[in-house]
Amino acid sequence: MKQENNKAHKFGMVIDLDKCTGCGSCMVSCMSENNVPFKEDESNKKDSITWMRVYKITNGKSFPDTEIVYLPRPCQHCGGKGDHGHSPCVSVCPATATDYGYDTGIVSQIYTRCFGCRYCMGACPYHARYFNWWDPKWPEGMENYLSPNVSPRMRGVVEKCSFCYHRYQAARDKAYVDGRDDIEEQEYQTACTTACPAGAIVFGDLNNPAHAVHQIVKPDPHPDPRNKHIVGKSRNPNVFRLLERLGTNPKVYYLSEREWVRKAGDNYLEGEWDEIKNHHGSSSHD
Amino acid sequence: MKVDRRSFLGLGLGAVAGIAVSPVGIKLTDDSSIWTQNWPWTPVPVDGEVSYESSVCSLCPGSCGISVRKIGDRPVKIEGLAGHPINDGGACLHGIAGLQYLYDPSRVKTPLKKNGNTFEAISWEDAISLVAAKLADIRNSNAPERLAGIMDKDLGSVSALFKRFFNTFGSPNIYTLPTLESNLQATAATVHGKGQTIAFDLENADFVLSFGAGLIEGWGSPVNGFKANASRKERHAKLYQIEPRLSNTAANADKWIPVKPGTEADLALAMCAVILKKKLFDSKAVANFKGGVNKLNALLQKTYAPSKMAETTGVKSSDIDTIATLFAKAKMPVAVFGKGRGDGAQSLKELVAVHTLNCLVGNINKKGGAFVQPETAYLEFPAESMDSIATDGLTKAKAGRYAHQVFEKINAASQPVVEALFVYNANPCYTLHGADNIKKALGKIPFVVSFSSFLDETAKQADIILPIHTFVERLEDVPSCAGLAKSVVGLTKPVSPPIFDTKNPGDAIILIAKALEGDIAQSFEWDSYDDCLESVTPGIWDDLSEEGVAVISEGIPTGSVAVNVSFLADNPATVQAQGDDSLTLIPIDNMRLPSAGTAASPFAVKTVSDTILKGTDSVVEINPLTARGLEDRGYATLTTPMGTARVRVNLNEGMMPGVIGMVEGLGHDFDNKYVSNKGTNINDLIGPVIESGSGLDAAFGIKAKISKA
Amino acid sequence: MDSALIPEGAKRCSFPKFAIGIAIVGAVLLWGVYAMFLCWFKGLNQTNMNDYYGFALWIWADLAVIAVGGGAFFTGLLKYIFKVDELKNIINFAVIIGFICYSSALLILAIDIGQPLRGWFIFWHANVHSMLTEVAFCLSCYFAVLTIEFIPNILENRQVNRVPFFHHLAHNMHGVMAIFAATGAFLSFFHQGSLGGVAGVMFGRPFAVREGLLIWPWTFFLFTWSAAAFGPCFTLLVAKITETITGKKLVKDNVVHLLAKISGWMITTYIIAKIIDTIYWATVTIPSLGFKLSHFYTNNSFYGYWILITEVVLCGVVPGALLIIKSTRENPTLRLIAIVLGVIGVCLNRWVMVLQIMAVPVMSFDTWALYIPSWQEIATTILPVAYGIILIAITYRYLPVFPQEQELNSIEPATEAE
Ligand SMILES: Nc1nc2c(c(=O)[nH]1)N[C@H]1C(S)=C(S)[C@@H](COP(=O)(O)OP(=O)(O)OC[C@H]3O[C@@H](n4cnc5c(=O)[nH]c(N)nc54)[C@H](O)[C@@H]3O)O[C@H]1N2
Ligand SMILES: Nc1nc2c(c(=O)[nH]1)N[C@H]1C(S)=C(S)[C@@H](COP(=O)(O)OP(=O)(O)OC[C@H]3O[C@@H](n4cnc5c(=O)[nH]c(N)nc54)[C@H](O)[C@@H]3O)O[C@H]1N2
Ligand code: SF4
Ligand code: SF4
Ligand code: SF4
Ligand code: SF4
Ligand code: SF4
Repeated sequence: MKQENNKAHKFGMVIDLDKCTGCGSCMVSCMSENNVPFKEDESNKKDSITWMRVYKITNGKSFPDTEIVYLPRPCQHCGGKGDHGHSPCVSVCPATATDYGYDTGIVSQIYTRCFGCRYCMGACPYHARYFNWWDPKWPEGMENYLSPNVSPRMRGVVEKCSFCYHRYQAARDKAYVDGRDDIEEQEYQTACTTACPAGAIVFGDLNNPAHAVHQIVKPDPHPDPRNKHIVGKSRNPNVFRLLERLGTNPKVYYLSEREWVRKAGDNYLEGEWDEIKNHHGSSSHD
Repeated sequence: MKVDRRSFLGLGLGAVAGIAVSPVGIKLTDDSSIWTQNWPWTPVPVDGEVSYESSVCSLCPGSCGISVRKIGDRPVKIEGLAGHPINDGGACLHGIAGLQYLYDPSRVKTPLKKNGNTFEAISWEDAISLVAAKLADIRNSNAPERLAGIMDKDLGSVSALFKRFFNTFGSPNIYTLPTLESNLQATAATVHGKGQTIAFDLENADFVLSFGAGLIEGWGSPVNGFKANASRKERHAKLYQIEPRLSNTAANADKWIPVKPGTEADLALAMCAVILKKKLFDSKAVANFKGGVNKLNALLQKTYAPSKMAETTGVKSSDIDTIATLFAKAKMPVAVFGKGRGDGAQSLKELVAVHTLNCLVGNINKKGGAFVQPETAYLEFPAESMDSIATDGLTKAKAGRYAHQVFEKINAASQPVVEALFVYNANPCYTLHGADNIKKALGKIPFVVSFSSFLDETAKQADIILPIHTFVERLEDVPSCAGLAKSVVGLTKPVSPPIFDTKNPGDAIILIAKALEGDIAQSFEWDSYDDCLESVTPGIWDDLSEEGVAVISEGIPTGSVAVNVSFLADNPATVQAQGDDSLTLIPIDNMRLPSAGTAASPFAVKTVSDTILKGTDSVVEINPLTARGLEDRGYATLTTPMGTARVRVNLNEGMMPGVIGMVEGLGHDFDNKYVSNKGTNINDLIGPVIESGSGLDAAFGIKAKISKA
Repeated sequence: MDSALIPEGAKRCSFPKFAIGIAIVGAVLLWGVYAMFLCWFKGLNQTNMNDYYGFALWIWADLAVIAVGGGAFFTGLLKYIFKVDELKNIINFAVIIGFICYSSALLILAIDIGQPLRGWFIFWHANVHSMLTEVAFCLSCYFAVLTIEFIPNILENRQVNRVPFFHHLAHNMHGVMAIFAATGAFLSFFHQGSLGGVAGVMFGRPFAVREGLLIWPWTFFLFTWSAAAFGPCFTLLVAKITETITGKKLVKDNVVHLLAKISGWMITTYIIAKIIDTIYWATVTIPSLGFKLSHFYTNNSFYGYWILITEVVLCGVVPGALLIIKSTRENPTLRLIAIVLGVIGVCLNRWVMVLQIMAVPVMSFDTWALYIPSWQEIATTILPVAYGIILIAITYRYLPVFPQEQELNSIEPATEAE
């Protein structure tokens, strides 16, 4: 059992919000890596497909005390309550068109199986899922830059960030050809990670203590004593997850030295933050 | 058989039941679902062998190394090149989206000739002979100076070929549009003497005092800037950002100091006053100032004391004092100038005032400071062959000091000032202030030749368009510039065969030269641009062709540098905004939109926030205090002395009261629905304001009013 | 003209009058059909749905018709299982309404999904964890049951019934109907519940999420209960409308009173449960996720506390009370007010459980998302209404839907047509 656990990967991300410049490279790298289409008017952000979306968040104060931060949001690859693989979206999909990879922790999306009921979109609190309201269309000749590694999606299905799963497959294939059991940390990096000019994104295996993500996050191996659904809470006081209290157990972690930024990651009742902010996993309770 | 009601119903039901239990239904159901998974109108990317080629991006002055992933012959993805001395891995969104430029069906696909209001396709042979014939006429009339040229920059071998062409043709009238590099050179020329440029060691500085430089908004070499900025966290280096708006750089900084637009020079001088008064300057450095600092000091203490500048700049005098002191006491401070991307309108007074801070604290050519170094020189061209028309022509006065003055002159004159104009890689009809006037001037030039990949605003004004390769299809040397603290030359390689009937601009100019025959042709005796490049880069060609990059210099420049602050001591006037309304409209530089002539790619436009562009409207930023009566996201009419625009309003607490911000890079009007006809070109709303003394267009903004629409 | 098809002894309006009525409603139907084809051929970009509003007007309409169609299973349950015999006088009509509601629901789903030709993947690649899988299975099976329940009534058409085979078939089907009614009740119980579960299991959506029993969140039980409670209101309402339009009394008062009484008690017990659920959710569930109740009802231009009060008090407590008190129940005006409020209440509940869920921001930096349906959505939502009217008109005209019709309306002996 223990061995099994050690073998399984749990790919995840840490995004340093103090470094992120909001430049949008990650968004474009994702779009071009994954054959994401574009249309004439993309200014209605509620129907604009951006697997990676960079939110702009303010501290709500008035001039000149205003502060802003950018928060890049790929799919959080939620592990669901207790990290058992029942992510909000996976558990609701009636056709098993989105699934949880127990060997990778990656939430997949099978376009040719999805029949477009959009239940998964309703279930995802991060708005990480996008529906193909239109046929994807490329101006004449532009389909020449489409990559064969990721199939373009047809109208009427849902799509989302895959943690660039095809890169994982390629890395795994290479390792196999080389006669290696496993891939190296640098062999599998997502397109947004490698694109980020600020080096704000770190990607790797949260289960592997040698990987940078693990070292930054220091995931708590025990469930949160305050809420047993929460697993893998970071023991780094500057690291947080989005809407952690819902028990979605995202594998995308955020890092910031600014307290208001960390607070913006979740919802808190009045006075609650001061009590919660110093709580960093089960060990801080010991 | 008698068909009665009973047997009829029976038969009918039997048939229904029969079909229902037969495999037909299941088969059809299955087939139809499979059909939906293979809709013929959803493209299926062609597979092939994967390969990677390294090259250099030349979409902006950044000169980043890129790695292009190919499937067979097809480039499918551009990414930053790991290990490249400038960007080491990362790339900006424009570079990554570069293939959208390559495959863009709205590119200029063949040479075009204006015919009334439309363009007709012609062959390269015809295009070159038309251009050559017109140029021959100009030369035959003994007025070669009436050929003018505009290029985006004065760097690298293609620009050098254009200059060579103008020299041997006999015209002194070749111009570049303002760039950060040209502003750096102008600053260096004023303070340190000609032929030099300034760079900033941002990777090592421990206190960066930025006067509006958009260090993460696309200033300088963008990706390099991002990296230097991000590394502050580990280095515990500080960034103080001075500008009217909470830009991304300001938001990312340790401190944001809002300043009234256009008063950055005053603020810098007030800080100089503090440093001089408190004797926080580096006495060794100051001892070497040519002519000393006494005159400057007297002026500063009298006119620019912090107490006097607090009202002007909107920064408290105690803050001016504190920040100047922090700056002077830091171990490796550097003051950075060039508002926004540093390429648009800038005032020389401001550039020099900020740089004087560097000179006073003695950080010139020190680790983490400002580097003053000679302009990069690595090209070795053979001597030009000049006929008498050329030698005579070159003695004539230039039509203006900068391009915008030439256009003004054209508009003012009744006789043609310029008979023919070459525009290479530049879009003055979009990027220069008062863009409408520039279009008017181009309309008055009898023969305009555009070397362009796109039918942009300027190309549309041309009589002949010579379509050129994009950076993905061409070979070219790309020297670094724009304040980068190291000097490298990268090689852009043709990673894709030409998609359309285009040429390398170097080849185009060689062909024109050859068609003109005589001495001009003799000066262009290469078989092709590719041959030319190899022969004019003898010192670095091996590195270039093998490594893709040649490092010319790295590290801290050595040698002493002259400093002369007499320009400031003469107290040049601070440029004022045109108009007399109470609000000031300023441009906003946003990393997701290029401010240069090239429109953003569809991907880049897609990333633009709806607080900047909504539908086809530009959204302007305004502080709620200033926006009396305006609703967030509501429509408004923005009026400046130059024009009016319908905009939407974004109430933004990060904007200084009294200021309206509008993004640069929107409002293109060429034929590409994904990127054009979206928003307003701010350069239509701002007119040029020429700074006396420098001749630069220094319009940092314009007075404006805004009301509910 | 069509008198040969009209039930013996029944009086119907002239055929041209009937045809004109059908034509008018048919035009609306065609408008809806046109919109439906637009959605199928051009895709869901014809709607104003977006990535925030993945579920919108249609899913509301779907849940609402299923809720009000609940009269069929509940009346069937009472008639066949609990042997409340008076209800035989309204069961045919309840079944027809149910049939209309469920066929409409299936049609709406076929328009709503992005890949209608792959709709069957829900069965083929079923995910047992998904409430929607449960919905799909139960919904389809129950629709089959409703069809079976409807068939005997069709076979009772004067002409069809002349064929001995159909005559006997109808007779025998009546005989075994209790089995189908029981199956139907069970299936309906489940899918009404699973529809409630659809919202309740979305643990990423604090407005929707509910704790519950075993694998089912409380909304599962509340939905079943509310459908059973309000469904009969809808049956009574449609009966009343039919009576008004035909100008005839079709169901005896004692039957109406009985169904109204049962409905009243169901509503009252349901609304108590709903109030307890709301209080528990507001004071225990959402605070544990960091939310205050006000988060869900303020800072937007539409969803205020009014919607909660209207749903629970005005359209829940009030009709419940009006229907359990004998005097108000037997007062035709007050009874009508009560059943109308009841129908609005259950529809409003389904609206809240579909659209308000999508509108509420969850991430602290997100904002309310409001949406206005496109005409195509509205047309396709009205489509089933037009279809329902037409089907009721046809069945009423040609089938002996109301067994008490003749008794209640003294009619001249019918003339033989052939
Ligand atoms: N995102 C995404 N997901 C996909 C696909 C995709 O293209 N994209 N492709 C889908 C397709 S087509 C497939 S077939 C599946 C493949 O999915 P899997 O069947 O999960 O394929 P593998 O991971 O290649 O192999 C499974 C395991 O078999 C082990 N194994 C190898 N040889 C043997 C053996 O001889 N005996 C035993 N007992 N074990 C052995 C391997 O070590 C590995 O752990 O993935 C599907 N999932
Ligand atoms: N290196 C490597 N080789 C493998 C495997 C592996 O894991 N690694 N796995 C093996 C296995 S198990 C399998 S099943 C095969 C799969 O091998 P392939 O069938 O080649 O699978 P893919 O490469 O996933 O997809 C093939 C092509 O289909 C396109 N495509 C995607 N969607 C559609 C669509 O809707 N319509 C049409 N017409 N085309 C579409 C994709 O863009 C892609 O170009 O590979 C086998 N070979
Ligand atoms: S690329 Fe990096 S810096 Fe730019 S927006 Fe994305 S995460 Fe932020
Ligand atoms: S972020 Fe959304 S789409 Fe991604 S796993 Fe979580 S619930 Fe699913
Ligand atoms: S839209 Fe597709 S992936 Fe999402 S729940 Fe429905 S079938 Fe599953
Ligand atoms: S991990 Fe890959 S798919 Fe996900 S946002 Fe990043 S680039 Fe896109
Ligand atoms: S910063 Fe400039 S050179 Fe570098 S990738 Fe972007 S556009 Fe190209």
